[in-house]
Amino acid sequence: MVFWIELLIAGLVSGLVIGLVALSITLVFGIARFPNASAGDIMTLGAYAALAGHAATGSLFAGGVAGAAAGAAASVAAYALVFRRLAGRSTVALLVASIGVAFVIRAGLALAFGHAQQVFQVPLVRPWRIEGVRVHPNDLRLAATAAASLAAVFVTLYLTPIGRRMRAVADDPSLARVSGISPVRVMVALWLVAGAACAIAGVILGLRTVVSPEMGWEMLLPGFAAAILGGIGNPAGAVVAGLILGIAQEMATPFVGFTYKIALAFVLMLLVLLVRPRGLFGRLEGVR
Amino acid sequence: MTIDRRTLLGAVPASLVLGLAPSRAAAQTQSFRIGALNPVTGAGSPYGTGMQRMILAAAEEVNAAGGAGGRRLEVFAEDSQTQPQAAVLAAKKLIEVNNVRAILGTWSSGVSLAVIPLTNDANIILMNTSGAPALSVPPANAKGLSYRFQATNDRFGRAFAEIAEREGFRRAATMAFNNASGIGNTQGFRRAWEAKGHRVVAEVVYEPNQPSYRAELQRILAARPDVIVMGSFLPDTTIILREWFQTGETNRWIIPGWAANPQLVQALGPQATEGIISVDTVSNEKAPSFAHYDAVYRRVMNQPGTSNVYAAMAWDMVITLALAMEAAGPNADVAAINEKIRFVANPPGEEVFTFAAGKAALARGKINYQGASSVLDFDQFGDVTPDFGVYFITNGQLVRRYVVAI
Repeated sequence: MVFWIELLIAGLVSGLVIGLVALSITLVFGIARFPNASAGDIMTLGAYAALAGHAATGSLFAGGVAGAAAGAAASVAAYALVFRRLAGRSTVALLVASIGVAFVIRAGLALAFGHAQQVFQVPLVRPWRIEGVRVHPNDLRLAATAAASLAAVFVTLYLTPIGRRMRAVADDPSLARVSGISPVRVMVALWLVAGAACAIAGVILGLRTVVSPEMGWEMLLPGFAAAILGGIGNPAGAVVAGLILGIAQEMATPFVGFTYKIALAFVLMLLVLLVRPRGLFGRLEGVR
Repeated sequence: MTIDRRTLLGAVPASLVLGLAPSRAAAQTQSFRIGALNPVTGAGSPYGTGMQRMILAAAEEVNAAGGAGGRRLEVFAEDSQTQPQAAVLAAKKLIEVNNVRAILGTWSSGVSLAVIPLTNDANIILMNTSGAPALSVPPANAKGLSYRFQATNDRFGRAFAEIAEREGFRRAATMAFNNASGIGNTQGFRRAWEAKGHRVVAEVVYEPNQPSYRAELQRILAARPDVIVMGSFLPDTTIILREWFQTGETNRWIIPGWAANPQLVQALGPQATEGIISVDTVSNEKAPSFAHYDAVYRRVMNQPGTSNVYAAMAWDMVITLALAMEAAGPNADVAAINEKIRFVANPPGEEVFTFAAGKAALARGKINYQGASSVLDFDQFGDVTPDFGVYFITNGQLVRRYVVAI
């Protein structure tokens, strides 16, 4: 029993990271209407910015804020320099452009920081034992951070005027436009939120593992899998699907082995595409 | 005068033939092209830059000594990214575009195993630093064109078993990165360990680039091992050890040197790494060839030569190849050069430590190049058997306690 609970906790934390990336992907898909392949590298950028922030201030919180800010800024810059100019082009053009943005970010980071791995210099702590179950204080902190970030995104989406406008654009861009909603302001808000969400995921992943220029790119596939599983364009679905993927991967290991646990994400994605192409929560219209 | 389309079209190929062909032919008679395919980025990045710089430096030294077999070495450098796909693309470019006659310094078994079919098809030499046992035998080494300057993973595994027995461990478990090298290490260990009458209490093969290895660790720790033997690389080892330390377990570790290195200590701190046993081949540190390499490495990389055993291997690759070219004589083809590798590296013969000395001694007869990386005696499979240094991480320093020979 203890074994399973520990697997569940490990899966939850992994799932929150996947969920944040999937949320960013699904928001961009719902509102800007293309699959954003630069999400992974915005993650990496966030992790490096947080490393720098942490090294400069000694505070992990300040580092995290620096990471989120850098991710949001880079994401808006990518919109202003690339995606905005391609607005109205085909989805494929935007997808390819986003892959290009991803390459530029990754190569820039590799040039600036090198390929050697870097780590957050944070003290390692022993776990608490609750009824025999090992619970890591750091995990709780990271999970709380991820949950708070998710909550902030949902508050923005559903309780603020700009969030309502974002959902309006997602629903029907032309109708939103004739109602007097400025598409540029909505887009800037979207890229700020999407960039910050990715960057926070990157910081959490960097804290748990190691920071290298390729780390985010490798998280992109699970992120996309979760976005599709949750119903592309559906924010709540993306988060739930991220959690499902994270937990399923960990809990399945006693049955399928460690080599194949990654494949599980893709088996789930295939099943969804074959059986229920809308995803778990998908409606065809996307974000509302 | 007017130049019409036909004249122009005719002139272009003509100028190409006239302008380029002679210089190209001249270049081919004067230079012998080699490819330096090293892990500048990816998991091998702590070593790749040093390896590539040493190949360039050694080629410079050969050229300064008047070249080998009347030819200058010309190096084309590429990055394998420590990834088989990237390495195959780079190797194709080196072979088909640059027309290299040897590829030097592939690192990581996945990379070497992916590149070796290309070098075999092109009938050129491959010198690698990878450990996978499959590289020794057909089909990989069917043509005998591949040389391994590092110990095989199987030999590493045997060394691990020697060390585990010497340290008095009873309950060994293994964790392997899912590639030929990782699994080669732990299988070599398992064979040697079971031959000593012990049992492996748990084993796991894990995937790279995971956000967490906690499930894998749980499986291993459930068997309560007193030592965990790894077939791993630096990033995954960093993550696994950090998670392990946070579980509060106190078992010991035996880890290959390319994963348990100063970068690992820097990443995790002295407390989490205390007592880890790091095993790596030792360079031929007492030999004059090592002193010579060390001086060059310090000049080029501003670090001691002992910090990168693979750079010493890369250095030896160029020297060995150049000596074989010298032994094979002017304009020898790859097959003739390949014939001479053991002639210049294995006993008997006059022991030499530098290219210049070897070149002079070849005029007198057979030589035995004593490398900077090991004594460099190739067995029938093109493998060498270096000794293994056993390092204990103590207060954040890798301290060598003893050397194991297998």
